[in-house]
Amino acid sequence: MTDALVLLVGMPIFAAILPIAGGIMWNGLGRYVAIAATLVQVTLAGIVLNSVLTNGSFSYEVGGYMPPFGIELVGDGISAPLLVLIALVTLGVVVYSLHAGPHSDAFYSELLLLLAGLSGLVATGDVFNLYVFLEITGLATYALVASGRSPKAAYASLKYLIVGTIGASFYLLGVGYLFVATGTLNMADLAAKIPAVGYDSPLIVTAFAFIAVGLAVKVALFPLHTWQPDAYAESPHSVSAYIAALVSTAAAYGLFRIVYEVFTVEFLEAVPLARDAFLAFAGVSIIVGAVLAVVQTDLKRMLAYSSVSHFGLVVAGFAIANETALTGGLIHLVGHGIMKGGLFLAVGVFATTAGARRVEEFDGLANRLPLLSGLFAILAFSMVGVPPAIGFPGKWNIVVGAVEAGEWAIAAIVVGSTLLTLGYFGRIVERMYFADPQPSETEQATIVADGEGGLEPSSLMVAVVVVAVVGAVGLGIGVSELVGTYEPVLEVYF
Amino acid sequence: MSTVTSWLPLAAVLAPIAGIVLILATRRQPNVREGATILTAVSTLVLVASMVPTVLSGGVPTADLGGFVPGVAFVLRADPLGMIFALLASFLWLITSFYSIGYMRGLSEHSQTRYFAAFAGSIASAVGVAFASNLIVLYVFYELLTVATYPLVAHDQTKEARTAGRKYLAYTFGGGVAALAGTALIFVATGTVAFTPGGIAELATVDPLVGKAAFALLAGGFGVKAALMPIHSWLPDAMVAPTPVSGLLHAVAVVKSGVFAIARVVIDVFGPVQMSEWGLGIPLAIVAAATILIASVIALRQDNLKRRLAYSTISQLSYIILGLALLSPAAMVGGLLHIPAHAFMKLTLFFAAGAIHVETHIDDISDMAGIGRRMPVTMIAFAIASVGMAGLPVVAGFVSKWYLLIGSVDAGHSIFVLVLLASGLLNIGYFWPIVYQAFFQTPADSDAKPLLEGPFGGSPTRTDGGEPASEGEYAVDRNPSDLEKDKPKSDPETDNSDSEAHAEDHGHHGGPPAGGWDWHPFGTESTWFMLGPILVTATGAIVLGIDPQGAIFLDLIFDVVETAAEVTFP
Repeated sequence: MTDALVLLVGMPIFAAILPIAGGIMWNGLGRYVAIAATLVQVTLAGIVLNSVLTNGSFSYEVGGYMPPFGIELVGDGISAPLLVLIALVTLGVVVYSLHAGPHSDAFYSELLLLLAGLSGLVATGDVFNLYVFLEITGLATYALVASGRSPKAAYASLKYLIVGTIGASFYLLGVGYLFVATGTLNMADLAAKIPAVGYDSPLIVTAFAFIAVGLAVKVALFPLHTWQPDAYAESPHSVSAYIAALVSTAAAYGLFRIVYEVFTVEFLEAVPLARDAFLAFAGVSIIVGAVLAVVQTDLKRMLAYSSVSHFGLVVAGFAIANETALTGGLIHLVGHGIMKGGLFLAVGVFATTAGARRVEEFDGLANRLPLLSGLFAILAFSMVGVPPAIGFPGKWNIVVGAVEAGEWAIAAIVVGSTLLTLGYFGRIVERMYFADPQPSETEQATIVADGEGGLEPSSLMVAVVVVAVVGAVGLGIGVSELVGTYEPVLEVYF
Repeated sequence: MSTVTSWLPLAAVLAPIAGIVLILATRRQPNVREGATILTAVSTLVLVASMVPTVLSGGVPTADLGGFVPGVAFVLRADPLGMIFALLASFLWLITSFYSIGYMRGLSEHSQTRYFAAFAGSIASAVGVAFASNLIVLYVFYELLTVATYPLVAHDQTKEARTAGRKYLAYTFGGGVAALAGTALIFVATGTVAFTPGGIAELATVDPLVGKAAFALLAGGFGVKAALMPIHSWLPDAMVAPTPVSGLLHAVAVVKSGVFAIARVVIDVFGPVQMSEWGLGIPLAIVAAATILIASVIALRQDNLKRRLAYSTISQLSYIILGLALLSPAAMVGGLLHIPAHAFMKLTLFFAAGAIHVETHIDDISDMAGIGRRMPVTMIAFAIASVGMAGLPVVAGFVSKWYLLIGSVDAGHSIFVLVLLASGLLNIGYFWPIVYQAFFQTPADSDAKPLLEGPFGGSPTRTDGGEPASEGEYAVDRNPSDLEKDKPKSDPETDNSDSEAHAEDHGHHGGPPAGGWDWHPFGTESTWFMLGPILVTATGAIVLGIDPQGAIFLDLIFDVVETAAEVTFP
């Protein structure tokens, strides 16, 4: 049963070779491989989750080398739900891309490689191994962004490549410092050895700073977010949905793992500056991300800045450093993935069928695409934090945690983020439902200019958005289940 | 009170949600769609009403849906306080549904499916607010109510409606944010947010500063929907919505969800004892009293009937808050009784305003002289309701006001007696001219409305003692642009762009017909879809006024106040 964990990483890597290799002989093999691989991945992730729910956490030693020397993969109440999320989102995006494209075999190879990277990032119990998966994730993402095939996409990809590599290097530097200080790379082992070195020793603090900044680049916290709007906006719709839902999510999860598993809460208590800096970055991210989102005219850029704002929320939940807030941050991590993925998919359908990418093109869209507009509105209000959808429980826990910790400023910002989010989603919903549609000439013109639009809405694509909406609302109602799986893991940290 | 496990509270919330699905599914056949609305309204009412006997005999039907966020369970309970609101909302929804059909068809409105679906969603949320067992569940439905009502406010799809919708969302979500912050404070301080009659016991040991801050956030947050001044201004703007929406949602369901939430906070979260210990009642009472008077004075100045009714609503909602804030048992009874009393009366008034709009396309009071000939039944119902608004006997408003007056004296704050009496006079001041000009004046011979005009404190005097410039003095007035020439001259004070836009929309012109109003005998002034609901709500207002004991509500209210304040009513 524990083999499922290593297969989650190994299987997609192997499957990623097939479309490229087989594509020489059978063109178009990629989609079948991708469907089969993601179905297997969903099953494997389900097995891992089931095992965690019945028997609790477990780990797998790669190659039989025992930790702390061997590489360890960990399945627990927090990584297992994320592995399921990753598998399901991949399946959704593969189904969506069958119609939306890109259709090339290379695309499916890259997607499967990214799947392997993300799963590894979440499952690993080793800080160096985490770097490897971080790079796999990064490389696959650079390639996927560039598959937009426009000059802008190439530029966005290059920008992401440079910024992302700097971030990963920072992380690696931090890991180096840790290794120098303790002589180990296994997370659990590090946690045991760091106290001996001293939490406030310069080596450890420097390591923390490098690792935190490196991962913050990948999470795209303000002001390290600059790669992200370009990457989200210029990649093909399937790709932006995928990376918006998962890539920053996995990086934020890595941040959580490192902070709580390796450095532990005691470190945050011993070095209050680290915690305060985190809180400050998170708070600024929430506000500035939202303000930048409001001024965007391109929907995908708006959603990208919205991610900056909402990852501020997630990191705030991590930085408050009590169990309630951390639970909230982790809930929002999963919830944001579902909602944002769904929103990007919905915008993809709007763009391909109605040619609507910019804010003013959403005027009166509800008349033309009533179902999709309704789904978009539900997801938008979920992001705002209207209960019972998944946007609310995470925020509530973060607020309660902030109040418990007496962090009034961050509590006020998190509560107020409801209005900030409403600021940029409200106007879209208003335009979709209550503005008159644009005159058709300009519409035609924009379709021509964008080279998009005019397609019939594919029921397959809309169905994927429906699933995202059901997931966002259903998970919100059943959030106590998710909290239940988190609890045993989080209890250990506090 | 004993808890009775029951699925009825949940079913009462789910019935209108199922209605949404039905309405959307039958959108191609309007008659079937309206049938679906009526069917769900009836079943919701039946589900709610079927719980009344249990509740009156001391049981509390409870549906436990398990955990929600950590430490908070998702439980729906139909306790007496919740039953008041749920019964009111579901009963008046049924009445309003008929009226809506008449109104929407009478005006051939667009997007009727969206309208009826959003209406059902609003009612589902309102019933959820009523049956919420703790602050979090209340917040869930409170926010859903905001979202469900938004399409109704922006229904017109004009620039004005969109602006009103935006304002509505910003105000109510802002209030929701404050309420959520207050809820978080309560949760952290006491470890629970469950409603407990008489208040959450753990609050007694909480730092008073935290407790007071939590109360300010909760009362201020919910006060947005309760239209407490100075956070009321979304409500008059929301009058751009179709009249049934203004009637049921902006006089009953939405605004009273704010009032109801404040009632929950006062009675079931803080409790009268803790409230008076921290001195929380009096500041709230002062805000309410100020709102009562200021809103009434502003109402005097409104010429658009719906806006005048909106300011009247703002004023009357604060009666309820005042009653709750005074904390004496009689005042609380009066306040809570005013929830249904005001609902029946104000709904009658709005229904009348809507009927006038549909039949004659008149929205301004100054055009309504002699309209009693055209719409006799409507205007008689209007007269009855406005008498009740002023608090005169035989109509519902009297009973609740009576309790409020006694309660103010009991609480030892006789000053509020004066406020209530002054408000009664102001009510007469802004309602009676509408009634007497309808019956006793003609369009040709009527005095100026509204009663107050011009800036408060009179026109500014000039230092040179010169006359203020009057119309026609400026060059641009003598030689108006071509654009202006085509337009009929209108008084800028009473000009209402909304009504003009409306009149143009439907190809009618406002204002009375040249030869005065035709006489329409009983039953011919409008369709029975509209007249029926008007008569039902007017009758309801009278029944509540003559036999308050017989109309369930007072029994429920006695239950609530007896448990909360530990007193016994006869």
